[in-house]
Amino acid sequence: MPMHGPSAIAILTLSAGIALAQDSVDPAMMEQGAALYAQHCQICHKPEGQGTASVFPPLAGSENLADADYVVTNIHNGVVTMPPFPWLSDVEVAALANYVRNSFGNTYGGVTEAGVAATRADLEPVGQVRSIWDGVYTQEQADRGRAVFNSPCGLCHGSRLNGAPDDQDMRPAPPLARANFLRVWNGRSLGALLSYSRMTMPQSNPGFLPEEDYLAIIAHMLATTGVPPGTTPLSLDIQELGRIRIGPKP
Amino acid sequence: MTDKRSIDDQDFKEGSLNRRDFFRVGAAAGMTAAAAAVPGTVMAQTSETPDGTIHWDYEVDVVIAGGGCAGLTAAIRARDAGASVLVVDQNYDLGGRMLHSGSYLSLGGGDAIQLRDMAGAADAEGFITVPPAEDPPELDDNIELLFTDVTDWSVVDAKAQSPYRYNEREMMRAWAENCPPTRQFLMDNYVRFTRISGTHGGGGLSRARAPYCFLMLGDRTDIEAGTITAEDAGVADPERTSPFAPVQMEDATSFVGPNAVRNGVALARPLEYSARKKGVMFILHRSFNDLIRERPFDGRVLGLTATYSPRVNPDTGIRLESFWQLGNVDDRREVLNIRARKAVILASGGHAGNPEVRSMFYPALRDPAFPTSGSALQGSGGQDASALKAALKIGANMAGMQQNLSYPTTFHISSRLGTRDAYTDMMPGHPTFVFRKSTGVAVGNAGFEEFIAVNQVGKRFFNEVRLPKRPGANRYPGDGAAPGQGLDHTPLDWRNCSAEWIRKSYTYDHGLDAAVALNEGSRAPHYYSGPLWAIFDQDAIDRTGWEIRFPYVSEENGYYFKSDTIDDLARQIYAGHPYSRVPLGHLSTTVTTWNGYVAAGADPEFEREKDAPMYAIAKPPFYALSIMVIWHDSYGGLRCNGRQQVIDMQGVPIPGLYAGGEAVGGFNKHGLGKGHVQGFIAGTHAAREL
Repeated sequence: MPMHGPSAIAILTLSAGIALAQDSVDPAMMEQGAALYAQHCQICHKPEGQGTASVFPPLAGSENLADADYVVTNIHNGVVTMPPFPWLSDVEVAALANYVRNSFGNTYGGVTEAGVAATRADLEPVGQVRSIWDGVYTQEQADRGRAVFNSPCGLCHGSRLNGAPDDQDMRPAPPLARANFLRVWNGRSLGALLSYSRMTMPQSNPGFLPEEDYLAIIAHMLATTGVPPGTTPLSLDIQELGRIRIGPKP
Repeated sequence: MTDKRSIDDQDFKEGSLNRRDFFRVGAAAGMTAAAAAVPGTVMAQTSETPDGTIHWDYEVDVVIAGGGCAGLTAAIRARDAGASVLVVDQNYDLGGRMLHSGSYLSLGGGDAIQLRDMAGAADAEGFITVPPAEDPPELDDNIELLFTDVTDWSVVDAKAQSPYRYNEREMMRAWAENCPPTRQFLMDNYVRFTRISGTHGGGGLSRARAPYCFLMLGDRTDIEAGTITAEDAGVADPERTSPFAPVQMEDATSFVGPNAVRNGVALARPLEYSARKKGVMFILHRSFNDLIRERPFDGRVLGLTATYSPRVNPDTGIRLESFWQLGNVDDRREVLNIRARKAVILASGGHAGNPEVRSMFYPALRDPAFPTSGSALQGSGGQDASALKAALKIGANMAGMQQNLSYPTTFHISSRLGTRDAYTDMMPGHPTFVFRKSTGVAVGNAGFEEFIAVNQVGKRFFNEVRLPKRPGANRYPGDGAAPGQGLDHTPLDWRNCSAEWIRKSYTYDHGLDAAVALNEGSRAPHYYSGPLWAIFDQDAIDRTGWEIRFPYVSEENGYYFKSDTIDDLARQIYAGHPYSRVPLGHLSTTVTTWNGYVAAGADPEFEREKDAPMYAIAKPPFYALSIMVIWHDSYGGLRCNGRQQVIDMQGVPIPGLYAGGEAVGGFNKHGLGKGHVQGFIAGTHAAREL
């Protein structure tokens, strides 16, 4: 959870002469921001920005959002369990910042693309963005994932990972592999997938598997989808995972 | 199958290292052994009723109709109290639907497993190596809280029905009080419980109350040692099911530790083992028909009649035989009158497999095209309303008539396609696979995005993406001020059913109702809506990886068809499906129209484009898989008091008659917890009758 309010960095940025925040809000930015929010943020922060009690912080009514610099920094770098989105363009980050600062009852004013660019200039550069199809996991990881998947996950998602529960008492769950999985998660990163899984799954007892097993299960999902393995295992580094994006087979 | 061998009494008394072989004995030898080893078990040949008009073929203290979760529990309980017990079951083997269940057994009230997990302790045998899944406060339960939970008027489910409000109060009080002793009783009869993880539907919201039942994989199947072979557990081959376990056992690593497997097999087989060992007698292949009462609506229940109903393999003509035989009485006479000196216990299930009785609750579901769960395992006698019909004939009352409508497993559309028996994934290797011939293709809810669903005339009837959605179980996501479960749940709080919460939680989708609606093929007098079909093409298979091959589908059973043209596909369905009553005259037009919608990006009939991408059905071959409606639970049934005595229309117990499990109404509780505790109570009191 963020612990501080408007920061010294924001003041510094303003004093540097580029206004990150402004009073007016561009409607086109809001529209673009809404679409980006639906794709990348809503899964955790929920459609009305309400978050999930004690799991994902609410954006509605969050005073932290008053600090535009803080918002931009967190989108770029991630924070705690929130994955980073370093590959979003400046205008996309601006659109998202506009949207979350001026939706769900928030009225913190607009954010400019130029201001976002200035803030990001002080942050770590994007680094190499990869696709899941670039050999990002190892077969050993996927094998481990196959071994640990069935007991906690197969109950609802099914041992075939197609969302048909192994346990008839469970309600069918989303598929975790193949075309449907690629479509639903298209454009998101493995960082988002890991964070979401660890914080919410299994529903009855989220986060009870070792972190490495969550990663192994993701490798198993990729392998079942037909994504080829590589020689370097998936890393638990959220920055690293945030730069591996999910998408259709090239 | 290993060779059967005879044993003598010495073997029986001393036990055997290999329990599986031990029980694989001939029926006659088993019966002799039991009768000799357990002197209290009297197999009367003939006796006369007080008025001398009835010939009795057998006479025992307690007769139980049905050997499932309520019946086996009652049988052991009564036997423990010294009664001679005879169980009559219509199937070839014991366990009922408990055997194919997930074994998620919600009890509570401060039961032994809650206390064990609260203390962070392992099981007595030391199999459990994982820490508790629930925090101690979530397990801190007592009988008052459990009773409050299962009579909580304020709880509404996601269908805006109230699951607990209408429960029979005296019965619920007895149930809550008997949950802890029933848990201990099951543990004393070789049932091993995993860590508790949540609560099963209908078990109350305030605490975590449900573990699964498990066995450990080992080199032999030994109920007393708690081990099972991979072959018997059905985990040795992903496409084989064993005669021991009609559904492959599931990995229980995260609830127990490595090599643990779970499901109803780890509950049903231990209880069956214990019952047989303790001298309970069984007459299988025999349908219970009627109760015999002193006078039509008055006096004691004296016994029951049961008819020979052999389950015969239709391909070989050979009768199926139970996995274990000890205690079996192989009597093939057509009709038997069986006298119960103390009591009859009705535990023969609900009405979910009887379309005519279902009609009382939802007339559209009278269509016999739609079965109950476990229709292959149980055959046509499963859940056939035998207890309800027989008890009504002697004046019994009913309870919970509207409660069938308040839990999503009562009736729903299955996401397992291509088999009539669409509830479980039984594979070849089980003796009843022959009654289904295909395992079905489990596609999940998401699979419904890949095809169009049509009715018996070949017309679409609903947004397919929403078709399989069911209103949520009796669980409430804790979310700020909204009602929650576990420690977030505030019992009896009016806000649980405030208008605001109901608006927020109401998620009822009417796909099932559209599926069973009248259509052009519905004809007087029944106006059946007919079978349902998923229609798709080769591209759908390429997208999903569905395995359209045996054992998942069969070209023989009429639930799967394939063709290079839609017209021929429609012709094949009409000719080959056992419940096709009219041609699918609209199918070609429907597919053409659909492909037009896909090209235009909009589905004006059902607005499906809002929910998921739409795919053309254009690349041959074309496929049809059956979509089944399953009626699973029975919440309307016989009215009982706190002793599980059946109550008559005057509100008075019928002397000598008890009931438990799905036969009983007025208790909205899905699954096993209802049956085991009611069986425990019924067995207790039946054995005490004079």
